[in-house]
Amino acid sequence: MFGWNGRILRIDLTRGTNWVEEMPTYLMQEYIGGRGMCIRILFDEIDPRIDPLSSENKLIFATGPLTGTGAPAASRFIVSAKSPLSNCIANPCCGGYFGANLKYAGYDLLIVEGKSPGPAYISIHNDRVEIRPAEHLWGKLATETEHALRVDMRLRDDLDDWALNTIGIADIGPAGENLVRFACIMSDGGRAAGRSGLGAVMGSKNIKAVTALGTGQVNIADAEGFRKAVMGFYQEGRNNGELIKRRMYGTWSLPGRANKSKSQASLNFKEGYSEAFVKYEDPEVIRKLIRVRDEGCFSCPFGCSKRSRIKDPEYPKTAKGPEHESMALLGSNCGLGDMEDICRANYLCNELGMDTITTGTMISCAMELYEEGYLPEKDLGYPLEFGNRNMFKLLKQIAHREGIGDLMAEGGIAFAAKYGHPELFMGIKGMGIPAWHPQAFDALGLQYATNNVGANHTKSTLPFYEGRKDPAHFVEFTKKDQDYLAIADSGVLCWIIYHGPLWGEKLSEWLTYITGTTYTQETLDRLGERIWNLERLFNLKAGITCKDDTLPPRITKEPRVKNRVVDIDRLLQEYYEWRGWDKKGVPNQEKLQELGLEKEGAGVI
Amino acid sequence: MRIKIDYKKCIGCKQCEIVCSLAHTGTVNPWRSRIRIFIREEFCLPVIAGPYTEAACNSKGMVMVDGLEVDGCVVCRASCPTKSVYKEPDTGIPLKCDFCGEPPDPQCVQWCAPEALTLIEE
Repeated sequence: MFGWNGRILRIDLTRGTNWVEEMPTYLMQEYIGGRGMCIRILFDEIDPRIDPLSSENKLIFATGPLTGTGAPAASRFIVSAKSPLSNCIANPCCGGYFGANLKYAGYDLLIVEGKSPGPAYISIHNDRVEIRPAEHLWGKLATETEHALRVDMRLRDDLDDWALNTIGIADIGPAGENLVRFACIMSDGGRAAGRSGLGAVMGSKNIKAVTALGTGQVNIADAEGFRKAVMGFYQEGRNNGELIKRRMYGTWSLPGRANKSKSQASLNFKEGYSEAFVKYEDPEVIRKLIRVRDEGCFSCPFGCSKRSRIKDPEYPKTAKGPEHESMALLGSNCGLGDMEDICRANYLCNELGMDTITTGTMISCAMELYEEGYLPEKDLGYPLEFGNRNMFKLLKQIAHREGIGDLMAEGGIAFAAKYGHPELFMGIKGMGIPAWHPQAFDALGLQYATNNVGANHTKSTLPFYEGRKDPAHFVEFTKKDQDYLAIADSGVLCWIIYHGPLWGEKLSEWLTYITGTTYTQETLDRLGERIWNLERLFNLKAGITCKDDTLPPRITKEPRVKNRVVDIDRLLQEYYEWRGWDKKGVPNQEKLQELGLEKEGAGVI
Repeated sequence: MRIKIDYKKCIGCKQCEIVCSLAHTGTVNPWRSRIRIFIREEFCLPVIAGPYTEAACNSKGMVMVDGLEVDGCVVCRASCPTKSVYKEPDTGIPLKCDFCGEPPDPQCVQWCAPEALTLIEE
């Protein structure tokens, strides 16, 4: 078989058993991999109404046909389950070495079911799959856990230096153990499958980490053609301005771009501009200030991830990030304007295993509640106006569920409602809004609101590439874009590279070379649309309706940025029409027939 | 002719390992590669497989490379009885870089987008 391994590894934690299943052909051909396979399996196997933190939820780690093949930027893996934060489907993706290792070990999917009786970690070494005790790891920070696991593996599996660097580890920090609803699954020292709180799902199953080591191979249908195509692509890529910028600055070129165009989330989205960020508008300044080296994920030559230096002796010498989203949400959005502070906050979130974006909106919400006098100081124990460094204390409290952190760990909606002002939490479906202020571009508001997983920055393209914010077409474009990225996430290709600089034919080109099946752009568009619709059906069954496709009143009623509000109701109707959904956002019969989803739609429409 | 390594430019993406195995075996498997990337916190070190030596050496220890302290066993290019890298995983046959044939056209250099590997005349 080419591209895929055709094998699913299932682990039943309750019984402590594991077995391998053969992958049905239709799952490979019609759902590609990653995100597509995940939604198909979750739709078939779990009841969308279950409690996400119960043992009935299933946690899937998924790779795609392109993972580990050397297709540029095809390092990522998808983690999927029902989200404890939004109650929707969740499918965050994460870079690093884990995905490729799972693939080389011989599996396309790892499905984790049930609940382990005690703390445990899963070790996958080719065909040897073990559930090992993890009492000694419980409570450890994310990179501490990785370090301890590498020591374990050096002893138990007799691995050499190179192999230890090659293994992939996905783990949770204390936040995941304590079931913080926006906890991440961390990987490779600072990458995260972050956005939907799946760290809490892993924690609820008592799984501290999954380690993967594969020494097998992936077969490529047209190896010669593929090798030449990639080589040609690199020669072209050397002159692609966008790619050169990505390699040089990663996402660090974005704070300047956002701040200059008045679309940087600032002070709990009260503003779209931060005075303190003016000094970081030139990415070269940030690079000189904190960069140690560029890092690439497995098989990604663009190296947009940066390792940075924290001078504070209390912190380790270097750490990953911060990316633009973390800079904006933990920085300008919380009133922090110093890069050192932002690095500290980012480091703490990563180590504790919390999503920097939702955490940022939680903290800024607490800050605004405090400034307005709704949140009394006695509940906090310290002052917390915008920019106050007490937020570091609060970060730790949330992860360990101490004091007020216990309430905040339940998510923004519960927290803001407790203090009587639910409108001050800047989130959609419980998930914090990412860095770009939705009032800056209508397209953004629409994309955040209609996203199947909540306010997510990775499931639809930021509209900053030519033609995409064209007012006449952006609604249509949003739909196309979402379908396109559903395929990129199924490949699994990195959306950072493939949503901007490499938009277009590359997906079908790589897929055809590797799998030997001819994929055209049209087929992929249809498959992407089907994935998106199936996710929508899952959400509808879980009780999420068009009422949840909305934006906070601050975005729709108060003209904060560029003196505009987002007319979300009008945009939604237009969007539903493009999608072939009715006025309530439910896919209609014709659309489902066209996509071959009538059976799945039964009971919903 | 030789492959010059500028480790400061290496980002640890392992594309060289991938294309090496692809070019030599037709499959993708870094464990069958003739070049290996050793990743450290502050830098990555590409090392290209050299000739096989039958005996393990007795001069193990740390060596200084460009002011950095590195395990001598890591920067040593030899495939030897005590190391598990640079060997075919199934058969144990030692691997050695062959510059991808004659005339030399090393694929790792071709795929190295950050240009940490370059082919130079010498």
